[in-house]
Amino acid sequence: MTYVLTWVGLMILLALTCASSYFPMGNWNSVVNIGISCAKGLLIAVFFMHLRHAGALLRIVAIAGLLWLGILFGLSWSDFGTRTLSPAPWVAR
Amino acid sequence: MPTTPFDSTLERREADLLGIWAFLVTEVLFFGPLFFGYVHGRLTHPEAFTAGSHHMHVVLGTLNTAILMTSSLTMALGVAAARGGRKSLRTWLVLTALLGLAFLGIKASEYWMESSEVAQASGAELTFYFLYFAMTGLHAVHLTIGIGIVAWLWRHASRYGAAYHSPVEVTGIYWHFVDVVWVFLYPMFYLLQRYSA
Amino acid sequence: MTWGYLGEGYTLRSWLTTHDHKRIAVLYMVAITAFFFLGGAAAALMRMELATPAGDLVSANTYNKLFTIHGVVMVWFFLIPSIPSVLGNFLVPLMIGARDMAFPRLNLASWYIYVLGGLFTAAALIAGGVDTGWTFYTPYSTRFSDTNVVLVIVGVFIVGFSSILTGLNIIVTVHKLRAPGLTWFRLPLFIWANYATSLILLLATPVLAMTLTLVALERLFNVGIFDPALGGDPLLFQHLFWFYSHPAVYIMVLPAMGVASEIIPCFARRTVFGYRFMAYAILGIASIGFLVWGHHMFVSGQSMYAGMVFSMLSFLVAIPSAIKVFNWTATLYKGSIYFSAPMLYALGFVGLFTIGGMTGLILASLALDVHLTDTYFVIAHFHYIMVGGSVMAYLGAIHFWWPKISGRMYPETMGRIAALTIFFGFNLTFFPQYLLGWLGMPRRYHEYPPEFQVLNLFSSAGAAVLAIGYLLPLAYLGWSLFYGKRAPANPWQATGLEWQTGSPPPQHNFDAEPVVTRGPYAYDPVR
Repeated sequence: MTYVLTWVGLMILLALTCASSYFPMGNWNSVVNIGISCAKGLLIAVFFMHLRHAGALLRIVAIAGLLWLGILFGLSWSDFGTRTLSPAPWVAR
Repeated sequence: MPTTPFDSTLERREADLLGIWAFLVTEVLFFGPLFFGYVHGRLTHPEAFTAGSHHMHVVLGTLNTAILMTSSLTMALGVAAARGGRKSLRTWLVLTALLGLAFLGIKASEYWMESSEVAQASGAELTFYFLYFAMTGLHAVHLTIGIGIVAWLWRHASRYGAAYHSPVEVTGIYWHFVDVVWVFLYPMFYLLQRYSA
Repeated sequence: MTWGYLGEGYTLRSWLTTHDHKRIAVLYMVAITAFFFLGGAAAALMRMELATPAGDLVSANTYNKLFTIHGVVMVWFFLIPSIPSVLGNFLVPLMIGARDMAFPRLNLASWYIYVLGGLFTAAALIAGGVDTGWTFYTPYSTRFSDTNVVLVIVGVFIVGFSSILTGLNIIVTVHKLRAPGLTWFRLPLFIWANYATSLILLLATPVLAMTLTLVALERLFNVGIFDPALGGDPLLFQHLFWFYSHPAVYIMVLPAMGVASEIIPCFARRTVFGYRFMAYAILGIASIGFLVWGHHMFVSGQSMYAGMVFSMLSFLVAIPSAIKVFNWTATLYKGSIYFSAPMLYALGFVGLFTIGGMTGLILASLALDVHLTDTYFVIAHFHYIMVGGSVMAYLGAIHFWWPKISGRMYPETMGRIAALTIFFGFNLTFFPQYLLGWLGMPRRYHEYPPEFQVLNLFSSAGAAVLAIGYLLPLAYLGWSLFYGKRAPANPWQATGLEWQTGSPPPQHNFDAEPVVTRGPYAYDPVR
């Protein structure tokens, strides 16, 4: 059944994400991990949560939350990403 | 005697599904600020966060991820059983709840082991631990509520069949969401530069 | 004539256990009225203090608590629920031809959640108040304030869920329960407005809930997210807070715009000008409104580039609002205008909202904002929109739909007198504040240099007139419940499905499910 196949896919991705974190790839480790998490999330949403068979409305709703989170992160980045930090000497690191 | 505003169960089911998905949007935005705080901390204090991650129990975390994803499978199978009017619904619900409880048990043991380390942390590493407890804690609260609802469904399982099963579907969607959240939390807290642990 | 839904049980229990959206709306109306006068009392004390330059009525600390409770109560316990939870709950099912909202029990739950949140906030007040301002800026709120911050946060957190549930109900109801023939572009603009508002409620409120939770946790456990001494950043709080709180102001104004779009066509006897543009503008305001929050942070230390981006986006959000103002005005053209009390409120709304909106553009200009931020100019700006705009629209709506809700007519002359008193009192209160801000008087101070006294006296005098203006409707609307003329089904000869059923409507709203064959606002002007 599709559900079992989805589960197998999820387990494989879990093994991948765990194993990859033991290979030193610098910042790419995070990229891989986030990418795999997104893939897992997509599998769960499309197959377990039936977005595969859902109408346009539900799919739009499903994406809306993530999109809005993207707005929060993105526009805030216009601040955090363009600042130069001058930490005070006493700030704990 | 309350009359439902709907003209048919089909209409009601569509409304229920839209309702739960709209509710999940609020949940995404509820967890959102915590993710925001995490990203900020990770980008401004990467070494402290990595150090915090190395204190996490990666074997237990990975096991828990597998457990939770399996519970998603059993939940999905339960929803399918409800749709088909099959008696196996109860079995799948029990398995889902048990897997959920297993997750919580392992989590609790992790908390127990980590609390002593946390007490000695300071600075940005303390912020890492705070985010860890806050995010996995909030997740655990949601999971507990989910287990409660699954248990309630189990008690009333005879009500659900091919004609009417939207409470089971709605619960399933909620359960899968809780799983998706964990799928993101797992690498964030357990897998930071494991190669240098 | 029967008493419809009002006649289905006279016990308190029948009200407190109802699933009827109309009764729940009335429950909300009673609750928010109580909070309005609580917030108003705080404002009255503030204006009394500010009548003289010396800080002689209350101490500085007490004054801080006054403006905090004024803000918290007025924003979260009055303005945000006002139109959606009272008029939205009452009218949405009626306007779309449905028997009730999609989730009636959730609706009742949302009212109880509101009351619970209110109790926590009242408890915080009784326990001695909070002095952080309704904005809870860190690190004052997390580290230095010794007032009941956590208690009031719990109250606001709880009431947020009431908003979320109301929004959820409206969204699902509008999507799934429209009568046959009622396509999206045949919906009254009131529905569009409350629908868009509900989208904002769902997308923004959870962020506030978590942000305030983080403040409480930082306060209790000293964790370091917002504390720079521990590697955190106070601006993290401000970004998160304003990500909600700017869209929140659109939660407060969009429903008011929806109300204006119902009242103005009715009393000009003309269809609304540019219906599709009005609907798109509503969606535009709701979405662009999420992109402008940094204009509250121009002088906070955020990067200059972020400031420029937010400034440009803030100018952008004015465009759909301006389209709406033009279209309301154009609706009046060649109309047969009748200055009923609701119409006076609606016209007042359009004018005062325009002034408030234009001063918003002044504040959106980076350079000007450096001079004007945290002065009375800002206070005047947002009160023109929230009070001159939203509160007047709310009162207009209450008067317009009073016959439908209560089955009674209010005394029209008194209605007009109150509307004009409020309009006059409002301008006397808040126009001087633009001047005070421009001259440099800062906000949130209980004393000020003597040269500001004259303008402050005008403002305080205006507040007294405004208070009378608000008490008048309380009196004559209450009177009308017992002695008002019995209302017909459609006293205003308005279009809209809610007027096609009794005043008050029966519990199930319609005896036969309506079928819709044409668009809204099919008025013929009497030439």
